Amino acid sequence: MGLRKVNAVVVGAGAGGGIVAKELAQAGLSVVLLERGKWYTAFDCRKDDLRNQRNSTLGNAFGPDDERDPRVVVDPSGWERIVRGSDGEYQNNAACVGGGTLSYGAMAWRYMERDFRMRSAYGAVAGSTLEDWPISYGDLEPFYEKAEWEIGVSGDESGNPFKSPRRKPLPMPPLAPTREHLILKPAALRLGLHPFDIPMLRNSVPYGGRQPCMRCRWCVGFACEVDAKCGTHNTVIPKALATRNCELRTGAMTKGILTDERGRVTGVAYFDSDDRLQEQPADLVVVSGGAIESARLLLNSRSRLHPNGLGNRYDLVGRNLQGHTYAGANGLFGEVVYDDIGPGASIAICDYNHGNPDLVGGGLLANEFIRLPYQFVGHAPNNVPRWGKAHKDFMRHAYRRSIAIRGPAQEMPVFDSRVQADPVVKDYWGIPVARLSGGRHPHSIEVGNFLAAKAEAWLQEAGATYTWKSLPGPGLSAGQHQAGTCRMGKDPQTSVVDPYCRVHEHDNLFVVDASVHVTNGGFNPVLTIMAIAYHASAGLLRGWKGGGAQ
Amino acid sequence: MKARTKYLVVAGAIVLLAPIAATVYYETGGGTGCASCHEIQRSYDQWAGSTHRNLSCGSCHGDAFTLDPAFHLNNFQRLVGHLSGRISEPILLRQPDLPEMLARCQKCHRQEFADWQSGPHASTYSRIFLDRKHNASEALEDDCLRCHGMHFQGGIRDLVSPINTAGPWRLRAPELANLPAIPCLACHQIHAHGAPLPRPAIPAATPGPKQELFRPSLALFDRRNQLHFAVRLLPLPEMRDHDRPVKISPDPRQALCYQCHAPLATNQVGSGDDRTAIGVHEGLSCLACHLKHGQQTRASCATCHPRLSNCGLDVETMDTTFKNVKSPHNIHFVKCADCHPRGVPSKPGARRRALPFSEATFTRR
Amino acid sequence: MPVRLLVTNRAKTPRRKFLGLVATAAASAATISCGGSRRPWRFLSTDEALTLSAISERIIPTDQDAGAAAAGVVAYIDRQLNGPYRRFRKTYREGLLAIDNASAARFSRRFAELTAEQADQLLNELEGTKPRFFQLVVAHTMQGYYGDPRHGGNTDAVSWRMLGVPTVPIRGRWKYEKPPWA
Repeated sequence: MGLRKVNAVVVGAGAGGGIVAKELAQAGLSVVLLERGKWYTAFDCRKDDLRNQRNSTLGNAFGPDDERDPRVVVDPSGWERIVRGSDGEYQNNAACVGGGTLSYGAMAWRYMERDFRMRSAYGAVAGSTLEDWPISYGDLEPFYEKAEWEIGVSGDESGNPFKSPRRKPLPMPPLAPTREHLILKPAALRLGLHPFDIPMLRNSVPYGGRQPCMRCRWCVGFACEVDAKCGTHNTVIPKALATRNCELRTGAMTKGILTDERGRVTGVAYFDSDDRLQEQPADLVVVSGGAIESARLLLNSRSRLHPNGLGNRYDLVGRNLQGHTYAGANGLFGEVVYDDIGPGASIAICDYNHGNPDLVGGGLLANEFIRLPYQFVGHAPNNVPRWGKAHKDFMRHAYRRSIAIRGPAQEMPVFDSRVQADPVVKDYWGIPVARLSGGRHPHSIEVGNFLAAKAEAWLQEAGATYTWKSLPGPGLSAGQHQAGTCRMGKDPQTSVVDPYCRVHEHDNLFVVDASVHVTNGGFNPVLTIMAIAYHASAGLLRGWKGGGAQ
Repeated sequence: MKARTKYLVVAGAIVLLAPIAATVYYETGGGTGCASCHEIQRSYDQWAGSTHRNLSCGSCHGDAFTLDPAFHLNNFQRLVGHLSGRISEPILLRQPDLPEMLARCQKCHRQEFADWQSGPHASTYSRIFLDRKHNASEALEDDCLRCHGMHFQGGIRDLVSPINTAGPWRLRAPELANLPAIPCLACHQIHAHGAPLPRPAIPAATPGPKQELFRPSLALFDRRNQLHFAVRLLPLPEMRDHDRPVKISPDPRQALCYQCHAPLATNQVGSGDDRTAIGVHEGLSCLACHLKHGQQTRASCATCHPRLSNCGLDVETMDTTFKNVKSPHNIHFVKCADCHPRGVPSKPGARRRALPFSEATFTRR
Repeated sequence: MPVRLLVTNRAKTPRRKFLGLVATAAASAATISCGGSRRPWRFLSTDEALTLSAISERIIPTDQDAGAAAAGVVAYIDRQLNGPYRRFRKTYREGLLAIDNASAARFSRRFAELTAEQADQLLNELEGTKPRFFQLVVAHTMQGYYGDPRHGGNTDAVSWRMLGVPTVPIRGRWKYEKPPWA
């Protein structure tokens, strides 16, 4: 429909898409970056504790819209219902420029060497599609480093003997320790554990032309007012735009990937911000919508030659949807431990990521981000009444005297935990919505329970007078750590993309986000998504022979 | 077609007449009319118990004779919102309302307004946001708007372009250029609870026990909440000079100063934008020296010091400003030892003179 | 069903919407003096607000610190019932009526007139018999009390001050040009 052909169209301006757009634009390719959401500022949320990315009680602050983008969720008993963007079951990640990186907590973990070869390390797990990655930690190491230095990471891993080998240190020192940090560190050492400062995509000193963290209490879930949190929206995307080779179009909802009569990808069709259907021709299409929306887009891109969607010859797109099984414990202390110094999360251990007796994998444990007052209501132990004077007394006494430790247990991928295109329900633009079904593998819950016990022991050693666990349930997990739906592999019959994120049957179609994760580590995934985006961009550019004829 | 024209004419007439009709209705009955729309009830109740209760709604908010079409359009939109059940609540002042408010404040508070206008807090959007020296050394960010332009409805990207250290910078809304970035409403809540000020008060030259210390309207406009928080609700920091706790005056008005002239999270004296006094002036309230609206400080020295200081120096000609990096007597941290490195000589018969006000003056409510 | 709803939204043109608004305005212009009612609530009736206030006050009672009623929890809920919680309007209308009916049946009085003990007794029963509505009110009361003041509750940040969380925290920013004494 008359839009000028470009070299590449990137769908989704989040952690993966922002980086690919910048890498391609800097290499001289013409790029169109499509984002269904807006480019928000901190004013759009203003630290609203009931309407943010972590607490969507009154709606999503950073998209998607409650009315326009429903999903269908099928629970294990087969009961299905339509959910809105701000419902928990929606498994939302933000829909905006920067994606989750605008409002995340910003932990910047490298996966460990063993996280890339879970199958070889632990063997097969019944009921799980646990598999090795086709690339190793060593393949990604230079790209982890690039992400750390280009986007910006602070922290100090020197106390972590389990860390993967690195060539270059982190570019920024950690933030000064909080009161919780100073309580938890000696306790961990007494237990023979190895505590250290969490690496974070957050400025602790001026970096990248932006200020350091001012240490307010509203961090995870909120856009940063001093721009200290490093996301793609304030690093690579402005750089991509500055090349003048990249055009960002917001409010652009991609409908489908276009193919010609021979099945070759030729561009995308999308609804622009005025809801007009546009066709953007391109030499390459990069899908970076997050594990749920990327899978949905491939599945919705049906044609005569691809009746089940693109890359889906073997019914693999949308499978193995996973996130993290969060578990942990809370401890009540005799003295005030709250110091109102954000972001809260500060100290971690990786002692339980691997090598746990009779368990496959594990996860890190770290102290929790500051829990805002309303959020804390839900943290009361079971023996505190849910209402009345006793609950108020608990809040008043415990709010500044409690520490929480949480960790993301690495999940065992489940083949039937999946994203499908719903056959009936359509969104505002008439596009079939994502249909989510499945649940956690029982072993993921076992690992979560194990981590919770370890968290509780750490709090007890730190002097907690009362502790209680927070344990995982069996439901589907995806949310902000959603991953796995377009698995990376060498064999086209068991995977969707190759090690450079190229969809097997298409030489010009890529999926670059956590969809390609074979397994999701016992860590927050964002730095790995970024590293993979740099890795995939490098592979793509190596094979780039210039744009085709118009 | 004909019916439709008629329909449109009627609609048009309503559009034109509704604001006037509404105003006439609202103006009768001393404001109770305003409050019959429940979204205004809260503001009305607050006003009825406020220092400004003797002023009619229209004298600040405009009425039928207001010429600004935007005012009537806005009212009409509110009416439509009200009738369709989609009301914006709370009703907030809009950025364009603020210049109007300045003139209204000025009508009665002339001296205060003049003081403010001649002081640093009357700085304009263009002076604050197009300051080349600042913008070239650090990029503007949303947090700037916490203390300057707090009523601006948008992010920094919506105000200034480009956001980088290269410039050249321009305001995206040029009409803001000469408007004050810290208007009256930054520190005053008009509807705050309190008794009306007696009219013939003669302002004292310097703060003393006879001067009213604590206007009820003192409140921070919190940009995040888009609400005012009264001074009594705001925290005073526990400042430290390295490890030593610093004595802070309990004057609650300072809580307002500290919101913007704030230390870093370490609460170290002099960190961030902090100006807490240590040394010989430790424990004085900000407002002991900084006269309220104009922030003029020079005359305040005479409140405590004789014209010639104990040392025979004329304190009023000393360079005491924090702006001069080289000043040896920066008033915020000058210590006895700065001038007397070998110890302060004792002066026979010298007694510490009582300050003209005491800490007891500042009892927190 | 929601699918169809989405489609209808789509079909609305801005012009039609505008005419609709004008019509609404016209129809109601005559009754511009919607006065008389003078209730501070948008959705709740005065009786409903009284009942809801009394329930919320049992959920977070007044002690040395303000309770839910003084913190403006009803204002919060009423405002949300006109916003994102529009979908709970029917639940509230029916739920509050049911509670008053139960109160009348048991104690021959409206809920707001019960003693604290009677109210707690009734609410404890309700927690078992009408768990959905009761849990909704508990959650909304907690939001109105502990949530951000901008949404109509937590007046003067009363709950945050109770918890000892500095309201409008003091946070300066790192400066490139440091003052000489820092």
